[in-house]
This record gives sequence, C-alpha cells and structure tokens, in this order.
Amino acid sequence: MQKPALRGCARRRGTFNAFPLNRIQSSTAPQHALHPELALEGAWRVVVLNDPVNLMSYVVLVFQKVLGFDEPTARRHMLEVHELGRSVVWTGLREKAEHYSYTLQQWHLSAILEPDEAH
Amino acid sequence: MKRIEVKLSLAAVAPLLDVAKLAADSLQNSLAAPPRLDELDPEFRAAWQAELIAAQGTEVAALLALFDREFFSTGVVAFDEANAEIIMRACSALRLRLRAQFLGDVPDDQLESGDVRLAGLTDPVRRAFMCYIFLATIQELILHHLDSVVLGETEAEPEAEAGEEEGI
Repeated sequence: MQKPALRGCARRRGTFNAFPLNRIQSSTAPQHALHPELALEGAWRVVVLNDPVNLMSYVVLVFQKVLGFDEPTARRHMLEVHELGRSVVWTGLREKAEHYSYTLQQWHLSAILEPDEAH
Repeated sequence: MKRIEVKLSLAAVAPLLDVAKLAADSLQNSLAAPPRLDELDPEFRAAWQAELIAAQGTEVAALLALFDREFFSTGVVAFDEANAEIIMRACSALRLRLRAQFLGDVPDDQLESGDVRLAGLTDPVRRAFMCYIFLATIQELILHHLDSVVLGETEAEPEAEAGEEEGI
C-alpha cells in the first residue's frame, strides 16, 4: 500500500536528526529522554468517530487489520465508537499516529488526530 | 487461493448498478468520508486528500469492473484474496456516498438496523436504499468467507507493540 505522503511527513519533521539517540542514551539521562520526539511534539491520539453506515463487523475487521488488535479488543473499541460516538484507538508519536489515521481513512472510517493532553 | 463465487439475479441487480454508478461518478473528485485534518498544514493536507481520492477511485473502479460483460452473461461475481479488501473498501465508499446523496432523510437508527419502510420512500430513494443494502451484503459475504484472507497480512506491527503504546 503506497503512502508517500507519510514518508514526506517524516522528512519534513526530521526530529531524529535534531536529537540523535546516541546523544541521550547515557546512564544519567532521564528515562523519558529516550523518546525525544515526544519531548518535542507530545503524544497524539488517533480517534475513530461513529458513523451510521459502516457495518460493525467491518469496523472490527479494520481495527484488527490496521491496528493489529485481537478480536475482543477490536470489538470493544467498535462498541465504544458505536455507543459513545468515539474511541481512542491509538496513542503515541505523531508520525505513527498520522500513519494509522491515514490508513483508517483509506478504509473510509472517520479517524482524526488529536494532541494527547495527558502527555 | 480461497475464492467465493456468487450467482446474482440480473433482473434484481442491474437497476442497482445504475445507482452505484451514479454514486461512483460523484466520487471522482471527493471523498466518501471527508476527513477532518485540522492538525495538518495545508500542503500536507492537500497531498493526503489527493492520495485518498486516488485510492478510492481505484477501489470503486475495481468494484464496478466486477459487473462486466461476463457478469451480464452468467450473473456470477467472484471474490478472492486478490480483490476482497479493495471490494470491501469500495462498498464502504459507495454506501457512505449513497447515504449522503440519497438517504439523508432516513434516520440513522433505521439505516443501522435496516428496518426501513420501503413503501414510504420515493422511487430514487428506494433504489438507493436497495443498492445500499446490496453493497452491505457483498461486504458481509466477504467478511464471512474471506475475513482470514483479509487479515492474513495485517498492516500494523505485532499487537504486543500496538497494545503497549495504545494506552487506553
């Protein structure tokens, strides 16, 4: 599956060049510094919103396929979307969140990116 | 290769294909589920949307290509690992567009349950609804018979890692 835009995104940010890991992996470095991208950009959430069209079984399959969930986890998130209108299906680095959001949109789910205020 | 063949009634399906084609035509330059991309800069957002539209066009074309001259002579369509995923996505795109284009007056709960009183619908809306159900049936057939094929190659990394970062 082609995702050149996401590769473009990686080039655009270049956070690994700004903070090469070999500069911070010392025994005195704080644990959180092992994730310099989080320090620079914070964590991001991938949120799937409800729609009245896509079949429940289809959404479960997409969650399994795209996010690698097992069937019970996929079903739990699908029900959360259905009953609460939204479900946070992934939290982490911006670039990877963009990847998941894009791929879920390729499956025609309403997926959005949100900054994770908790981090 | 796992493969399912479905024999359809030409008389029943042919009118629905006209509706599907109408919806497909309206998707040439727009997305069935327009994404909210507020967090992206304009240039990146444009590239993102363009790629989604291109992918959607490929999917819809693959679905419509199932109903070719051979289909109109045999009434048979086939699904296998080569087309299962793309056909399911195309069905989703067309269903979303049908809903937006023709079924806006049908309440969400009726659409979700399929419990719609057909006699209360105008002819174009009734045909759109029948097409909407037809496309869902194709999806259900694939989900029922070919889900392992679709899941055979997951796009995510192993679940342990996804779960670790999931944080829900």
